[in-house]
Amino acid sequence: MSTPLELIRKKRAEAVSRIIGKGYLSTKRVYVGMATCEIAAGSKDVMEVFQKAVSRGLTDVYLSQKGCAGRCNLEPTVEVIEAGKSPVKYGRVDKERAQQIIDRHLKNGEIIKEWVID
Amino acid sequence: MNITPYRIILCDGTACINSGSRKLAAALQEQLAKHGLTDTTTIGLSGCLGMCDKGPILVVNPGYTIYGRVTEDDIPEIVEEHLVHGRPLARLAIQEDHLYNRFFRVFGDAKFFGKQMRITLRNCGIIDPENIDDYLSLRGYEALAKAITDMTPEQVVAEVEKSGLRGRGGAGFPTGRKWKLTAAEKATPKYIICNADEGDPGAFMDRSAIEGDPHTVVEGMTIGGYAIGAERGFVYIRAEYPLAIRRIRRAIEDARAHGLLGRNILGSNFSFDIEIRLGAGAFVCGEETALIHSVEGMRGMPRPRPPYPAAVGLYGQPTVINNVETWANIPVIILDGANWFRTVGTETSKGTKVFALAGKVVNTGLIEVPMGTTLREIIYDVGGGIPFGKRIRAIQTGGPSGGCLPEQYLDTPIDYESLAKAGSIMGSGGMIVIDEDSCMVDVARFFLEFTQDESCGKCTPCREGTKRMLEILTRITEGKGLPGDIEKLERLGTMIKKASLCGLGQSAPNPVLSTIKNFREEYEEHIKEKKCRAKVCKSLINYEIVEKCVGCGACRRVCPVGAISGVAKSRHAIDQDKCVHCGMCFNTCKFEAIAKA
Repeated sequence: MSTPLELIRKKRAEAVSRIIGKGYLSTKRVYVGMATCEIAAGSKDVMEVFQKAVSRGLTDVYLSQKGCAGRCNLEPTVEVIEAGKSPVKYGRVDKERAQQIIDRHLKNGEIIKEWVID
Repeated sequence: MNITPYRIILCDGTACINSGSRKLAAALQEQLAKHGLTDTTTIGLSGCLGMCDKGPILVVNPGYTIYGRVTEDDIPEIVEEHLVHGRPLARLAIQEDHLYNRFFRVFGDAKFFGKQMRITLRNCGIIDPENIDDYLSLRGYEALAKAITDMTPEQVVAEVEKSGLRGRGGAGFPTGRKWKLTAAEKATPKYIICNADEGDPGAFMDRSAIEGDPHTVVEGMTIGGYAIGAERGFVYIRAEYPLAIRRIRRAIEDARAHGLLGRNILGSNFSFDIEIRLGAGAFVCGEETALIHSVEGMRGMPRPRPPYPAAVGLYGQPTVINNVETWANIPVIILDGANWFRTVGTETSKGTKVFALAGKVVNTGLIEVPMGTTLREIIYDVGGGIPFGKRIRAIQTGGPSGGCLPEQYLDTPIDYESLAKAGSIMGSGGMIVIDEDSCMVDVARFFLEFTQDESCGKCTPCREGTKRMLEILTRITEGKGLPGDIEKLERLGTMIKKASLCGLGQSAPNPVLSTIKNFREEYEEHIKEKKCRAKVCKSLINYEIVEKCVGCGACRRVCPVGAISGVAKSRHAIDQDKCVHCGMCFNTCKFEAIAKA
């Protein structure tokens, strides 16, 4: 009989492999802020743009939602994280910017400096 | 030649400064210049990183390599080996995996996050709150498992008590002591309640915490249940937070499906489950006894204490009731230990505090800083200062129960005692920055209008007293203030504070009393000179048409009382006797030809 601590460690290992199974190790992880504040600022539309792109065949991307990181005045926010590189955080993203992030950053690796939060 | 744009963070916490961190910056600059890396490397300072025993701490990003006990003599080697050759120095690197560190691995050293430290919000903004796998992968529920496996309930209570954690709902009662009292009660069953009835205007800490990381709250409550011997818990959350409700509900269901809630949690003989109760949005229901009445299905009204809920709480049984933020701290305390938690914060207030930073500040948002951070650091470093180069007038903490502190209190460190001493309160975490464009009398009136409206009416001092205070304040802002009004407000306010039944009434006069104390001259100007220096109180503003007027007639047409006259294409004029100070002409004019005087 395993102890609760052993059980939870097993659960963690399973959770990690499930996340990896969903493509977590893809080259680019994209997080769209989806808290009440972000949604009020329009993040649902932004999420839709990314979801559509993924369903239309955008590959090597792990798309996820996230809660509020606290940058209220710059919402909606989108983060692009790549292993070994500094995370890129975009602020005030709308549908138009989301599409450009997909075309320029995700597909071509260009960091769109003027929208980056620093 | 390695040209990785490295970012170096130097811990600027007190302990690191004492162990010599500030000397490192100069040595670092010198070495960077020597290797021609000055342009590609940035150096930033951070608030306490919580590894004080290993200070000074230096972090190299990307890669999040943490160097500890760094001396000036080590700098050349770090620069040469790590920055030039890309080989992290194993000799000095330390392997720390505090839960909160991950947040900064993701968010790095952006100015906004530099002075912050995230314990409560450690996962907010970096995990998918609707996916339990994300939480589990970050050692989620490990604290619960550790408590059940390796600790007795008494040990859990002792650990929380030792951590020095105090209630984050506002009053700051030591959490461990509350648990100990409840655990010692013989009556069963016992209950756990999470107070998520966040009501302060402009505050959204609890909402964001639940929306960003609901499992932390579930785990914290479950550990609390184990510690005091409760099998049922309730989350009391207001119905205005539909997304937070959805996410906490989902978290509870997922936790049940994983055997983390319900009968025999993780195969042990401890059982605990959580239900959700929706509040209808009455401010008074944030008061614990009123909240308990509301959970029981009765009208949300407070009752005198003692007996405290620790002895006689929900359904008359011993109950621990803590705020969302308090619960979210529990897993970290159990996992990283009370000894570590105690290293963060001040003598009397340990850990961090979440604030909803709002008002006239560049970076509005949700922040979490170590206790002991000064108001100045929050406003100017985290908040980025006041927009448009304006001057700060005051900072309001604690929402409608708190006070307004003027500029000279900016160096007050944030902790329960210091803020109280300065004349405000910690409160649940609302923080509003007020600049020179705001009228302090109007600010006080705004908050009192709120509490007066939210007074439940059970006790006379609060019900009648706040009403009378509001009447006086309103007449002052309307230019009808009488000599003696200030003294009347002071007398009434002091009386309401002393005689009210619950925290709502006991704190409602605070915004008024603190503004009288710190900005008395503004009250006097309103009353004696009928003048509002910030030009906010409409009745006290005189409108004039200045030379810029092109005679378009827009103001004349919009004036509801026909106080404006003039012929087309020539300067118009306002009849001051007819003017009702509504401000419509001011808002309508496109030529900035109407001036406030």
